[in-house]
Amino acid sequence: MKNICKRQFDIFKATIFATYKQWTAYRSHMAVSVLVGPVFFLVQVFIWSAVYSNRETVSGLTLTQMLTYYGISSVIGYLIYDGSDMDLQNLIRTGGFITFMLRPFSYIYYALCQKIGHRLLALWVEFIPIYFLFLFAFKINLVPANLFWTLLSVFLSFLLVFLTNFCIGITGFWLTKTEGLRRAFQVLRDITAGDLLPLVLFPVFIQKILFFMPFQFITYVPIRVFIGSYELAGISMSIPEIVGLQAIYVVIMFLVYKVLWHIAIKRFTGVGA
Amino acid sequence: MIDAVKLHLQGIKSALAVRMAYRADFFISIFIMLLVEALVPLVTYLIYKSGASLPGWNMYEALLIQGVFLLSRGISFPFFFGMVWNTILRVQDGTFDLLLIKPRSVLQMLIVTGFDSEDLGKLLGGIILFSVSLANIPFPGLELWLKFFALFLVSLVVMFGFGLILSGFGIVWIGNYRVYEIFFSIANFGMYPANIFSKGVITFITAVLPVAILGFVPASQLLGRPAEGTLITVVSSFVFLFLSFLFWKAMFRRYNSAGG
Repeated sequence: MKNICKRQFDIFKATIFATYKQWTAYRSHMAVSVLVGPVFFLVQVFIWSAVYSNRETVSGLTLTQMLTYYGISSVIGYLIYDGSDMDLQNLIRTGGFITFMLRPFSYIYYALCQKIGHRLLALWVEFIPIYFLFLFAFKINLVPANLFWTLLSVFLSFLLVFLTNFCIGITGFWLTKTEGLRRAFQVLRDITAGDLLPLVLFPVFIQKILFFMPFQFITYVPIRVFIGSYELAGISMSIPEIVGLQAIYVVIMFLVYKVLWHIAIKRFTGVGA
Repeated sequence: MIDAVKLHLQGIKSALAVRMAYRADFFISIFIMLLVEALVPLVTYLIYKSGASLPGWNMYEALLIQGVFLLSRGISFPFFFGMVWNTILRVQDGTFDLLLIKPRSVLQMLIVTGFDSEDLGKLLGGIILFSVSLANIPFPGLELWLKFFALFLVSLVVMFGFGLILSGFGIVWIGNYRVYEIFFSIANFGMYPANIFSKGVITFITAVLPVAILGFVPASQLLGRPAEGTLITVVSSFVFLFLSFLFWKAMFRRYNSAGG
């Protein structure tokens, strides 16, 4: 048992380190966010300042709360970003996936370690500079209401976005090229996760549907946990309750992955890739 | 000129033939492009439906600005903006060299071989949003239409300028597709009424980096309430195109490789 754990930890360390080094060569690509993020945010500042010029609140949110929402959404986005669907699809299409079938560890474990390595680099190239830019240049309050629950919620969101994307990547075993499906999923996710705008701005009957979908746990829930209060479709929950529900969705998504992978892996064929 | 059009048509034909190898993905992608284009108007729609508004603009007027913007993007992205990803891809995998030995200009070949069939979904999205918005405002007269078309053509000039700049970046900034994000973040300013921005930003988006022409300026003209400084924006658009071309040339001169 001890040996197995040590071996898994060695794989964990080696993959994270290799991915980190590999992406360090492209750190200037990542650094584009330092320009793009604040410019996008600046547009939001102007739009919402204009919207609020003749009213105090929109769907119960003040201007400060609205801008804080977008600020938190941006910085959390850098921590949880995921490209595992694209990586898996490319491996299936090019046949490169066959090399992973020969390796003595699971592909999903490798992909997760890769994501951690990638996001560790993003932590100092994207997250930290933009965090301080929002904090000091835009005066956005980016101090979480409760650090423990916020970190836990962001971590669960990190896993959830990875698992959902990975499941989309698995469809590559059937469709070979899943770019269209990936984009479809991204659009659906961006709308229903609260990336584009707070979910409370949707009509109430749509909010009720969104409450039962897993996507709110990717962006909307971590933001609300960050702020310190949760409310959607008239349903209020305490922070431990909503984070607990988030954890349940992570487990459900893991089971979905298990079933999909079990069926999909039987379909794969590759010759000498 | 006829020769260039023939060449472009051949490029479109070849690109469509290649894309048809994955038909299901192609049609899903077109549909998705259409949905993606609906995201910005969706935000505007939800803002207005929640009882809020952009001061001085009703919902359909605001949507018209975004419709014009999407229309401009819908024409430029499939037909010439593909030069951006085409440059990045070719420089990264070494096939850029092949264009250097073709009996045509490199830029023309980049545009011809960069036709992006999926982006036709953007055009469809632009047409739908533009038509819906237009149906809900007083129909403009002939004079307004003529002025609108003239300004819309200038918006394509600016899009071409952006294409040249991003393509130029693609030559020296190897494999960086995120240059698109730089464009989208800046172009965002053209999708909203200029009066919501500060004076400094208005000057910047009309006279320095004329992104206001991508949506706001032509749409304002169509609504019969021309934007302040339209003439300056038009002049700066052509200056922008000229400078973009110089930039692309300068980046092209810096290209080097070891034979593809």
